[in-house]
Amino acid sequence: MATIIDVPEEKVLHVNNFEFTYASSETPNIKKLSMPIAKNCVTALIGPSGCGKTTLLRSFNRMHDLYPGNTYEGEVLFEGRNILDAKEDLIQLRTKIGMIFQKPTAFPMSIFDNVAYGLRLQGIKNKSELGDRVEKALKDAAIWNEAKDRLKHDANGLSGGQQQRLCIARAIAVEPEVLLFDEPTSALDPISTQGIEMLVSELKERVSIIIVTHNMQQAARVSDYTGFMYLGELIELGETEELFVTPKEKLTEEYITGKFG
Amino acid sequence: MSVVIDKVFALSTKIIALLVLLIVAWIFTVLLQHSMESINAFGFDFLTETKWAPNLEKFGALPAITGSVISTFLAMLLAVPIAIGVAIFLSEIAHHRLKAPVGVSIELLAAIPSVVYGMWGLFYFVPIIRDLFGGLGIGMLTAGIVLAIMILPFMAAVTRDAMDTTPDILKESAYALGATKWDVVKDIIVPYAKAGIIGSLILALGRAIGETMAVTFVMGNVHKISTDLTAPATSIPVTLANEFTEADTDLYFSSLFELSLILLVISFTIISIAKFYFLRRKRSL
Ligand SMILES: Nc1ncnc2c1ncn2[C@@H]1O[C@H](COP(=O)(O)OP(=O)(O)OP(=O)(O)O)[C@@H](O)[C@H]1O
Ligand SMILES: [Mg+2]
Repeated sequence: MATIIDVPEEKVLHVNNFEFTYASSETPNIKKLSMPIAKNCVTALIGPSGCGKTTLLRSFNRMHDLYPGNTYEGEVLFEGRNILDAKEDLIQLRTKIGMIFQKPTAFPMSIFDNVAYGLRLQGIKNKSELGDRVEKALKDAAIWNEAKDRLKHDANGLSGGQQQRLCIARAIAVEPEVLLFDEPTSALDPISTQGIEMLVSELKERVSIIIVTHNMQQAARVSDYTGFMYLGELIELGETEELFVTPKEKLTEEYITGKFG
Repeated sequence: MSVVIDKVFALSTKIIALLVLLIVAWIFTVLLQHSMESINAFGFDFLTETKWAPNLEKFGALPAITGSVISTFLAMLLAVPIAIGVAIFLSEIAHHRLKAPVGVSIELLAAIPSVVYGMWGLFYFVPIIRDLFGGLGIGMLTAGIVLAIMILPFMAAVTRDAMDTTPDILKESAYALGATKWDVVKDIIVPYAKAGIIGSLILALGRAIGETMAVTFVMGNVHKISTDLTAPATSIPVTLANEFTEADTDLYFSSLFELSLILLVISFTIISIAKFYFLRRKRSL
């Protein structure tokens, strides 16, 4: 039915019999999904359009709660508790599980203020601390050199690739445990894409990463584990190389060899 | 064939567009023409003279201008904070089950003809103001309040629409960093929609300053500048509505026309500022 390996590493997230249903949907959009997410690794999610990759990703930081009527079932364990619980503190959760969107989303404010935003939300007011942490985040996101002379400028003056790295800087500035990337390079040129990919590989030293991508080469390049989803189900989860070279499931094989999707 | 249709269509829209310009110019010319007698008689003193005495053939616009400006200012003072509050509530805070019904009722309120607000103001607000502050209950304060109530729904609805143009993905990015609803409103929505919000406020201001029917009943039509907000006063539209039928001399008639010219210029200025904001916003998108 489905081949889902267990990971030898510590698990930062553990998904158990997870189901998700959009308000307007009659049947679950994610069905009985279970998978481990290994700590300090990159887990890629691939699959044809509409299979539920984004939906699953947005469940991990409870983004779906911003819109009425969506329902979760099952468990997503993080730091020993089920984060789907109604009592979960979403503000707190989202500082620990950050997200990078498909399109760069610089806020209408300066570059500095963009990166400082999450820190200020946490109540950090000290100028020098803010300055240090913004600089560190910009360096870690490999955009310091381009940004350092224009920190006070409007962030919308940056190019698309620069803005996406700015968004990464903004997300890592608050030092999350997990980063969720939803097709972070689909709006970018090849050079910027390469930059983001290198960044993802470097960042996993400190954060655990889940990345949704349509680009199988990208999944192969950056990830340690890859999950293949189809029609709201996880068909296969395996070590990336193994999944691409010797897939266990027929569907996976058909997908990665380009027979559909 | 289709090329011909295209050409005919382009030509006819061009003519209609020019027609609009022509009508504006025409109105302006007519007003100016009829104002000439008064302009020649009083010059710039018309703008600063406080006496309006038809029986003495003496006309000064200052009380009416002041009345327009102060009643509008009062209305804005009362309406802006409430309208922005309502807009914030509707766009981000309200439970989704409340959003639609409250939103629709506000749009309905905005559609009530202003004369209805005027009658309602006369029969219900005038007595309340009279009981609370003394006097006749007719005057600047009542007019300001009725105007505020009249422009509030429009202002709230347009401000909400401006706020709703904030892309979801921008709001989501802030929520994804641990922002609360209030953080998102003040850091993302308001800065993003600022131009639209200011534009809607200025449009409402334009409506308030030209408003006639809502305030005709509750202003008093007394050409006097008073520091007492509860004393009867007047505004440009109120003067026009009350006195055109009584204008028995050419100079009286012409002075009323000059008043309307002044109102037109004020309104044009306000709308131009609003347009400027809207245009700048469009370019920056
Ligand atoms: N807001 C929504 N309301 C209702 N159904 C939705 C909503 N968003 C997505 N869906 C449905 O949920 C399913 C999964 O969508 P999702 O966006 O997660 O797919 P995806 O794998 O990310 O696709 P893509 O690769 O195109 O981004 C689809 O069938 C889609 O139609
Ligand atoms: Mg998607």
